[in-house]
Amino acid sequence: MMLKLEKRGQFSRKFSAAVTVIFVAASFLVAGLIFEILGVRAVDVIARLFEVYLSERTLLEAALRGLPLGFAALGLTVAFKMNFWNIGAEGQIYLGMVAATGVVLLHAYYGLVPDFLVLPLMVVLSFLAGGLYCALPAFLKAKLGVNEILPTLMLNYVAYHFVNYLIHGPWRDPKGFGFPLSIVFPPYARLDTVLGHTAYIGVPAAFIIAGLLYGFIMYTPAGFEMRVLGQNYEAARYAGVRIGRTLLLGSLIAGGLAGLGGLTIVAGILGRMRPPSAYVGYGYTAIIIAFLAALNPWLAVPAAVFFGGLLVAGDVIQATLNLPFPAIQILQATIFLMIILGEFFKRYRLRVVI
Amino acid sequence: MIELVESVLVGAVASGTVFLLASLGETVAERAGVLNLGMEGMMIMGASLSYIFTNALGHGWAITAVLLVGAILGLLHALFTVSLRLNQVVVGLAFTVLGLGLSGLLASNEIRGRIILALNPEASPAVIASQEAAKLPPIPIPGLVNIPIIGPMIFSHNILVYISLILAGGLWFILFKTSFGLSLRSVGENPSMADALGVNVFLIRYIAMAICGALGSLAGAYLFIGYQPFWVEGMTQGRGFISLALVILATWNPLRAILGAYLFGGVEALQFRLQLVGVAAQLPYFLLMLPYIVTIVTLTLLSAESVRKRIGVPAALGVPYSRE
Repeated sequence: MMLKLEKRGQFSRKFSAAVTVIFVAASFLVAGLIFEILGVRAVDVIARLFEVYLSERTLLEAALRGLPLGFAALGLTVAFKMNFWNIGAEGQIYLGMVAATGVVLLHAYYGLVPDFLVLPLMVVLSFLAGGLYCALPAFLKAKLGVNEILPTLMLNYVAYHFVNYLIHGPWRDPKGFGFPLSIVFPPYARLDTVLGHTAYIGVPAAFIIAGLLYGFIMYTPAGFEMRVLGQNYEAARYAGVRIGRTLLLGSLIAGGLAGLGGLTIVAGILGRMRPPSAYVGYGYTAIIIAFLAALNPWLAVPAAVFFGGLLVAGDVIQATLNLPFPAIQILQATIFLMIILGEFFKRYRLRVVI
Repeated sequence: MIELVESVLVGAVASGTVFLLASLGETVAERAGVLNLGMEGMMIMGASLSYIFTNALGHGWAITAVLLVGAILGLLHALFTVSLRLNQVVVGLAFTVLGLGLSGLLASNEIRGRIILALNPEASPAVIASQEAAKLPPIPIPGLVNIPIIGPMIFSHNILVYISLILAGGLWFILFKTSFGLSLRSVGENPSMADALGVNVFLIRYIAMAICGALGSLAGAYLFIGYQPFWVEGMTQGRGFISLALVILATWNPLRAILGAYLFGGVEALQFRLQLVGVAAQLPYFLLMLPYIVTIVTLTLLSAESVRKRIGVPAALGVPYSRE
């Protein structure tokens, strides 16, 4: 008896969605199995997770925590669609944090512009900072054919150490008793002051961007070039796609949106800059979200809220079930693995040959 | 001054061995054409298992368990990427997230306690509650350790440091001087050609990933019981990814990996000591960026066709193989 792989032909959207739903459901079973083996009651953990989405207070918190993930994931839908393997969203988020904080500090000390212009300036510059940081490896790929996977990964760490340098050095609050924290952002430089809660402005903004991205990818010549590039590099070249230009534009958008994610962290969640706590964080989770959304920008936003909820649930199970935060990472990982496995079953049929 | 230099050099080897073990594993995988971005997860699994097993059964069992679990993780990665031909980047990152989560859960107080008791019912409550484990004892090599500078730098460490050096030499020999090594490299270079010549591409990639997983986890075990035996969630701190950079710097050569690993270890040791002395407080952050920047520069240089040819970059790296 042998197992054989057979390629499936075209598959419908409905089929694709059904496979994803089945595999995400299965990921809860797999994670639950791991929990049970370790002697943790899986039902408790998963119940805590779903409770997060049922109360308005925690759902809002989930949306808030999901914002940086969502913006970064929106960017990744563009990058991955053109087959640009940006795993540097983490670093691009950090650069967005740096740019936003830089504007606030400059304004606080030198008073550059009227107060009401500070927030728009932060938006523009955090987008540019993240975007250019992502365009750098894209430039290397376009000009010299350097594969982008490792450079984007490496730039995460460069950014990480850069943030730490700033926050332990020149950007540390002089009145902060030596803690590595920036000054607290003034109200006009914060997103929660605009409509009362950061999520109230962030979630609609994310949906608007999703709409724009969808239109851009589906209906503009540049978006078309990106899709062609993603399908087949050689074919794109023969079809006359301006590869360098397309890569640079796409990466600028991808990194820029991650940069906006960084803005939501400092100006929305923390209200100041703090050193990033973990190496594996936003950037990788954003990749999972982009995949869960099947690179569809519309779906990336709810998927981000779902993952924001996972973060909230992580805190809840720590407090109520005395389980460490990594329990939630197991769920993330199994969801990730099952989505990839689902992609496989969309493309192949397993057949038993006797 | 001499003392500072010597302490940095000793520290370079002590912290560099983590990178060396992991990058040796990664070199084998990448030479066979598989990019393992799950290294970070395999490493942290090794660290947490060595913590639990050392407290339950001692160092010997800890290292055995770590090698075994690491190899299994490597084989699982191969199942996804080699047999099911799933994207190596995505699978690797998933393994990293999984490793970080699973290690943290395993090492958390309650679950760790339960595992230790299951392994060794006589374990004392103090051992079960401990956030630390016994460090591997240093074994200075008589005679050699007295050589100025080189002696303490290389010959004053624990057994895993010596094993890592022997492994580097051994893997270099296997990769470049044996027919198995030739087959392995041909699989990473041109799998369909290797297949046509009768090399079992799938089997070799599975073997390479088992070795990669085992050595990656061993690197994590060294990090814990050989270097800083105090459990902190996520304690690998990106060292698995640094090892990936190192593989490129060493241009997929196990012997050059020794130099690179000690260089990276030296940067870590130096910034640590500069921080202690308080000299040039800002400098360490830029020092820490250096390995990554150098890696990007190396990758850029490697993009030139002539350089690639001379060094022998695995051409099929990251590409799943199918016979169709």
